[in-house]
Amino acid sequence: MSAISQDLSQEDVQLRSAIDRSLRHPVMFFFTSGAAWLAVSLLLGLLSSIKVHSPEFASGWPFLTYGRVFPAHMSAMVYGWACQAGFGTLIWLMARLSRQECKHVGVILTAGHLWNLAVAVGVVSILAGHGTGKPWLDFPSFVWPGMILSYAAITVWSIVQFRCRPAGHVYISQWFLLGALIWFPWVFLTGNVVVHHFGGSPLMAVAVNAWYRSALVLMYFVPVGVAAAYYLAPKVSGRPVYSYSLGIMGFWTLAVVGPWAGMQKLAGVPIPNSLVSIGAAALVLFAIPAITVAVNILRTAGSRNEVVTNSPSLHFTMAGISGLLILGLLGVVMSLEDALRFTQFSMAGYGYEMLALYGFFSMCMFGAIYFIVPRLTRREWLSRRLIRMHFWFSVYGSAFIVLFAIIGGLFQGIGQEDYLQPWIDAASRTHGYAVGTTIAWVFVLISNFFFFIHLGLMWLRLGRRSAHPTLLHSHHPASPHGPEGDVEEILAGRA
Amino acid sequence: MTLKKFLIGTIASFGLAWLLVVILPFIAQRNVKPVEFQEAIDGQTGVFIPKTSGRVADGLAVYQANGCALCHTQVIRPTYAGTELWREDWAGLAADEDRGDTRRESNIFDYKGLDYAPIGQTRAGQDLSNLAVRMHARFPQSPAEAEAWLYRHLYNARSFPELGWSICPPMPFMFEKRPVSGQGRTADAQHGVADFAEGNENFVPGSEARALISYLMSLRHDHKVPASINYSPPAPAAAAPAAAAPAAPAAAAE
Repeated sequence: MSAISQDLSQEDVQLRSAIDRSLRHPVMFFFTSGAAWLAVSLLLGLLSSIKVHSPEFASGWPFLTYGRVFPAHMSAMVYGWACQAGFGTLIWLMARLSRQECKHVGVILTAGHLWNLAVAVGVVSILAGHGTGKPWLDFPSFVWPGMILSYAAITVWSIVQFRCRPAGHVYISQWFLLGALIWFPWVFLTGNVVVHHFGGSPLMAVAVNAWYRSALVLMYFVPVGVAAAYYLAPKVSGRPVYSYSLGIMGFWTLAVVGPWAGMQKLAGVPIPNSLVSIGAAALVLFAIPAITVAVNILRTAGSRNEVVTNSPSLHFTMAGISGLLILGLLGVVMSLEDALRFTQFSMAGYGYEMLALYGFFSMCMFGAIYFIVPRLTRREWLSRRLIRMHFWFSVYGSAFIVLFAIIGGLFQGIGQEDYLQPWIDAASRTHGYAVGTTIAWVFVLISNFFFFIHLGLMWLRLGRRSAHPTLLHSHHPASPHGPEGDVEEILAGRA
Repeated sequence: MTLKKFLIGTIASFGLAWLLVVILPFIAQRNVKPVEFQEAIDGQTGVFIPKTSGRVADGLAVYQANGCALCHTQVIRPTYAGTELWREDWAGLAADEDRGDTRRESNIFDYKGLDYAPIGQTRAGQDLSNLAVRMHARFPQSPAEAEAWLYRHLYNARSFPELGWSICPPMPFMFEKRPVSGQGRTADAQHGVADFAEGNENFVPGSEARALISYLMSLRHDHKVPASINYSPPAPAAAAPAAAAPAAPAAAAE
């Protein structure tokens, strides 16, 4: 970063800090409320994971029954945390890359509150027993119009900013962000309207539901996470993108392949077989954008190892992009016909979704948050120890959740397929893996406990007042972070 | 790449997939022509309509709101996609008293009339496509007894000693507690044998539980299908795996 920033003129610095100032409240709102929903989701996830192996745990209350806690956990994760972290990153990145201040803070903040209200109503409804039982569309059907309206009010300004940008080069992150901006409402509207309101085709409603989950990941979470990684990797490492044409290729392969995937989950269900085959083929082909993006970003930042070891943002981004690479390869394995019959109705699907939502997307978002928040609050992160704890507990926790779910799911599927054995054989195979998953969730919860404290302190502007970013390793002899309080001196000198 | 090219490219690539895998199949599958029985092959005439009876709509709503579909599927896949067709009593009965082997895979008409087919997410529990068939086979004398068994399973599956391993979430909140009076069981005519006693209390199913059990007792997809959509292997071949299957004890099968 330093190599680039030294060349910048005073105007550039002022423009950037003006953009950051203008976006401070909305972006911090999305990050903090997203983190709060992540906390809710993790607690519900831990609870539902416990119930998988100990069904009588807290079973007396209707709102804590497994069948309500689990969808509430997923919905809070997807709409409370992941979508909002995505919104915050998206509007900040687009403003910075288009070099435009945000002029509609009030509208965005209001819409952000509406989104949170909608998610809260939805989650409470699920727990109260009014969920729809349609995965990722569990909210009662009156909730989605509020969500799509607030989405429009949050992100329309990013499109305006892109249109008003100064003439010149469009960076690869912007293409990914624009893609996400177009695809999200399309996917969201299609999923909700078709599944909730069209009716008359019960099996296709299930198929569209499966497509919706896949498309939300591939056409919203993937492009937003990748856009953040394409921004951070060159920015922090001070190296240009390894191959720009590889980046463009990654975008277009994703755009062409992504929307076809999803219905492979319904192999053997009475829908047209071609839909299943197309879905499986598309998920296999998704490995191409996943690999191109991952190679490109790992080559960009990986050539400067010392920067990666020092930078919290790059730590998380590299882990997230590794998650994307695994996601692409796992999609290939899980789409094979011989694997599908064993994993279709097992806990492996949960492992795949958690890899997408946490191992890839959340890690990329943490990377972005560690980069963006100090620029918004003009304070540096307080403690590298907290960041390190967050990182390692997250990496191990999510890796174990995914591993346990996928390996456990495979054995579960083998048991299910062995029709000569009594059902107890298939049902009892997952017990150990379920206990392991609970322990892994405890890891993720501990990890994010450090993150919540840290983000909360930053939100209260209690971060370090220093011009030196918090690095994971430091060679400064006196203080791990460099001298204190020099931000004011620098600002005074400029004024 | 200009913005115009970008927009055309993204909208076209997404729109094509959107039309071909989402919108058009949805519309096409809305109006599937009913399949007729052919007198010469099937020995009967008319249109294939699987009949259901029971409180399907409100029972299914309870089923969905309480996440039953997270662990219970309702689909019998063809043998190229899974083996549940051969499980002894999932797809129908291997040896029905009157009809012989009634097992068959699910077809599109099995879900007719619903807005959303409860296909399910995982199979942590058993497939429920033919739960009513299993229950009737197990309690051939009295459907009320079958219902009473399901109520108790709903209340807490582990209250059956042979199901101590079950991870089915207990649903005690769907029952009302009433003190035992008189000779133990309340002779509540409305609920028949649905209530059961534990210690000093009777548990009477509430309205949700009754809707749910009524729905579960409607789950029967073993109706005879026209030969034109019957993909089951011919009878002798179908008998072979059934004979090879060890007779699983009734307790373990549930």
